[in-house]
Amino acid sequence: MATISLAKSLVNPALKFVLKQNHSSQLRCSVTPFTTPLSIILRRHYAEKQVYERTKPHCNVGTIGHVDHGKTTLTAAITKVLADLNLAQKKGYSDIDNAPEEKARGITINVAHVEYQTENRHYGHTDCPGHADYIKNMITGTAQMDGAILVVAATDGVMPQTREHLILAKQIGIQHIVVFINKVDAADQEMVELVEMEIRELMTEMGYDGDNIPVIKGSALCALEGKNPEIGAEAINQLLKEVDSFIPTPVRELDKPFLMPVESVHSIPGRGTVITGRLHRGVLKKGTECEIVGHGKVMKTTVTGVEMFHKTLEEAQAGDQLGALVRAIKRDQIKRGMVMAKPGTVKAHDNIEAAVYILSKEEGGRAKPFTSFIQLQMFSMTWDCATQVSIPDKEMVMPGEDTKLLLRLLKPMVCEAGQRFTLRLGDLTLGTGVITKINNNLSEEDRIRLLEGKRAREKAAAKK
Amino acid sequence: MKQKLEVYSKMIFQLVRRLHTGPVCRAAESSLLAKLRKKTGYTIANCKKALEMHNNDTDKAETWLNEQAQAMGWAKATKLAGRTALQGLVAVKFNQDHGALVELNCETDFVAKNEKFHQMIEDAASACFKFANTHLKSKDPVTKMELDSEQLSNLSTEGGKKLSETLALFIGSVGENAVLRRAECWKANGKDVKIAGYTHPAPAAPGQYSAGKYGALLAYRQTGDNQDIGRQLCQHIVGCAPRKIGNKDHDKPAKNADDETCLIYQEYLLDPSYTVEELLQQNNVEVLDYVRFSCGEAVEANMPGVEKQSLDTVQTLQ
Repeated sequence: MATISLAKSLVNPALKFVLKQNHSSQLRCSVTPFTTPLSIILRRHYAEKQVYERTKPHCNVGTIGHVDHGKTTLTAAITKVLADLNLAQKKGYSDIDNAPEEKARGITINVAHVEYQTENRHYGHTDCPGHADYIKNMITGTAQMDGAILVVAATDGVMPQTREHLILAKQIGIQHIVVFINKVDAADQEMVELVEMEIRELMTEMGYDGDNIPVIKGSALCALEGKNPEIGAEAINQLLKEVDSFIPTPVRELDKPFLMPVESVHSIPGRGTVITGRLHRGVLKKGTECEIVGHGKVMKTTVTGVEMFHKTLEEAQAGDQLGALVRAIKRDQIKRGMVMAKPGTVKAHDNIEAAVYILSKEEGGRAKPFTSFIQLQMFSMTWDCATQVSIPDKEMVMPGEDTKLLLRLLKPMVCEAGQRFTLRLGDLTLGTGVITKINNNLSEEDRIRLLEGKRAREKAAAKK
Repeated sequence: MKQKLEVYSKMIFQLVRRLHTGPVCRAAESSLLAKLRKKTGYTIANCKKALEMHNNDTDKAETWLNEQAQAMGWAKATKLAGRTALQGLVAVKFNQDHGALVELNCETDFVAKNEKFHQMIEDAASACFKFANTHLKSKDPVTKMELDSEQLSNLSTEGGKKLSETLALFIGSVGENAVLRRAECWKANGKDVKIAGYTHPAPAAPGQYSAGKYGALLAYRQTGDNQDIGRQLCQHIVGCAPRKIGNKDHDKPAKNADDETCLIYQEYLLDPSYTVEELLQQNNVEVLDYVRFSCGEAVEANMPGVEKQSLDTVQTLQ
């Protein structure tokens, strides 16, 4: 017993001393070189995540072509050649090829994304394995393609399915295609010329300007291995130059006429009516003329003030959440779902065509297919509206399929080509789509038939 | 220096050549290679080889190409055999008492949209249909035979060729792996027993043959002279994918109508206010059997053509 207490008395002061020292050392550490650990942390974060610098216009391109013609090799070669100029990060073949299933809005898309930049532009590069993947991509807007590089091997030439590749490009609205004839190291001059001739012919047949489309010949493999620079790295550089000049830079949202979907409306005593929402595109300044469209109404007015976070704003830009003070409009004249835009740029429509992707059960959709005349709720911007669906090309649409749909809205709403929307049934999201074409508005007769058809079906159901 | 000179001379040569012969060449296609390629459609490399072997005699080259096509197709098919092929189509061909359902896979859905692919699967469906007509013995109301990849390959087409041979030719032409996955051949026996088929997407004009991403065959017995609802029932099966027909004595309806897997308890696709059972009673129909294929649906790991991509093809490109 005595020995234990002795040991305790011996140990305790030592322990205390250690604790004390430790404590003070900690204190010292946190006082004097205070900045160092923090800055290290900050620096480390910088090393992990680079900051995207917006110095060049952005453009999205993609590769299309036969599986064995070297799409992935070309992509790898582009990153390698640009990495040598410090404009990209080199990607290996395997980094690109295993297209991860990307989840965008709960929809799985097989897509490989690579980024690089040339002297003039910054690029997002997309490669998908199949037709349906590109279509899904287009519909959901995961990676909109502004242009494409069609890869054809000089050894094989145009394949039977090259036609299908071009049909796809047409379908997703790609107007600018640059052709890369790959594997010229394994072919001779005559073969390469013949391939060029064939591809120009096919492009013309498919409605492209076949004679003037840039065709670059090279070998992606040579570029990747750093051999034969004249068909390797130089060909890649030439290809990028053509892509730079031939595929136009897309118009930025900022440069388009302004548009703001109405989220809510407030009446502020002594000031007037304030409309809030997120500016979808363009810029909005005080004093701008505007038009408020939707729910069957069109009103013209002037924006007398723009506010953000209760502070007045000189100029609001696309993406800003703002409040706009409007002249001579009562609060109850405006409803959520209307759209405020530059006069004459938007119209309400009720008869539209759309490309729609119907979610599979795994993605949160319905397990059952649907047929024409189903009535769904359509959500777009801040509005929603009951919509009668008809399927023009098929008898039914299965979950997990993309399709063209004709949509008839029960009342006209602001729609324009390229606008995205969701279709819901009860508490299920059935699909997501993009408007491809606006048809003439429904006549009174059509509208009556639309409602009558519904009633007739209800009657049939009631009879049972 | 010498290399550079060569390059320059080549460039000048090209330039001169393009200036002189380019437009003419494009217009008249005077080049033998272009002509041969246009005529036969074989790969440029092969056309070139054929011409070299026969001293630019196009006729001989063409016959050689046609002779070699089969061998080349086989070579290509063997080379690509390991690659995943899960896209493609399901085709159905049927009449009142015979039916065939076939699945043909390829690597990308681009190829599945090509007309050569459509021709290939139509040939396969016809071969199975013929097989159902000639080889199935009558027993039971419905005689069924399941064919796997290998059995399918040994069937012969109208022209007398084996399906595996036409498949090899097809692979040689599109340069993508393709697999005759599976097939069902059916024969109905007896009065009132009928067979119907459906594929989705369905063609505008319903006929005996169609192809799509999903397909189904249905055998049913209908007595009396009610409206024939075989096609609609088949559409329901394609759409709602029931797991079994269901028996009133053993199976109970699911609590949630959307999760129902018994055909008889499912809501009828074309009019959800009826169940399929009510529809069957109204029309005096008895469902005897059905089979449904969904293209690329999960298959056993050891099936040919679904293995992971073999490493050597990747390494050659690195």
